Amino acid sequence: MFREKCKQALWQIPVLIVMAGLVALCVNYLRSDGIALVGDWSVDKRFPDTAGAGMVIDLEEAGRLFEQDAATFLDARPHDQYALGHIRGALSIPWQEVDRYFNEAVDRLKAGRVMITYCDGETCDLSHELALFLKDMGFKNVHVLVNGWTVWQQAGLPTQKEE
Amino acid sequence: MSGEESMEKHEQPDRGRLLNQVLRLLLGAVFLYASYDKILHPQDFARAVYNYQILPDTLVNVTALILPWLELLLGVCLVAGWWLPGAAMLSTGLMIVFICALIFNQIRGLDIHCGCFSAGINEGPADLWTISRDVIFLMMSAGLTYRIFCKTHVRRQVVSING
Repeated sequence: MFREKCKQALWQIPVLIVMAGLVALCVNYLRSDGIALVGDWSVDKRFPDTAGAGMVIDLEEAGRLFEQDAATFLDARPHDQYALGHIRGALSIPWQEVDRYFNEAVDRLKAGRVMITYCDGETCDLSHELALFLKDMGFKNVHVLVNGWTVWQQAGLPTQKEE
Repeated sequence: MSGEESMEKHEQPDRGRLLNQVLRLLLGAVFLYASYDKILHPQDFARAVYNYQILPDTLVNVTALILPWLELLLGVCLVAGWWLPGAAMLSTGLMIVFICALIFNQIRGLDIHCGCFSAGINEGPADLWTISRDVIFLMMSAGLTYRIFCKTHVRRQVVSING
């Protein structure tokens, strides 16, 4: 009995996988929002705005704008992480509670000023989601500093803790 | 054999069958539920797969396309009771892979969104609760697999005793 079941499993598993593959590829081919079989996961492509243009700003440019006090930095991580340390002068708008924190911070955001959102980790999406939200709210000049908290610290740029 | 003993022997396979049915219906429902949002939003799910940082970039989209359909097929097989040896074994294998991926990223401190039940990031970051939940599903799946492969002889024995 056991051996019989094993034999059944041995042909059923590959058939299930092949069936899933065929259906997936056919449906993807037919649907209007299908995706490429091999995706472009370069940084610019990973953080596009709604029109498809890249939103990424590099550390050098972000640091220059910081020195010139020409940009507002927005920390999209949970507030407890912001409290432990953040880019000096950055405002906390945790993506998970964006409505509440955005309403608190909105008076301090100037429409024409450069906004730079960041979180932590190469694949962190919070800053990108926040950047899209800000664009949606009418802010034009919004950028994402990828892996911002880590690269900022590694570069020895100014940070602070919540007082 | 006394009458009571005979009753017990009669009830055992019924109870076993009921347990099998409950396990496969629950697991099937989990897989069906898990596949739904990912099939609707392939681009978002591809992003979730990318964020695991385990697969090479070239395999991300194909995996993100096929995996939800495989989950859907597994769900249908489990709920309908079709191809159970293959479906149960594959479901156990998938749960092991998912848990390993989650633990791997917890250990290296990657703050990912698990993409377990939806393609987007609204689920919140993957954490120990996510892993515990998957371990429960794994135990259910492993239990079902064990019962399908090793427990079916009980009924035959009872039939032969009583027959």
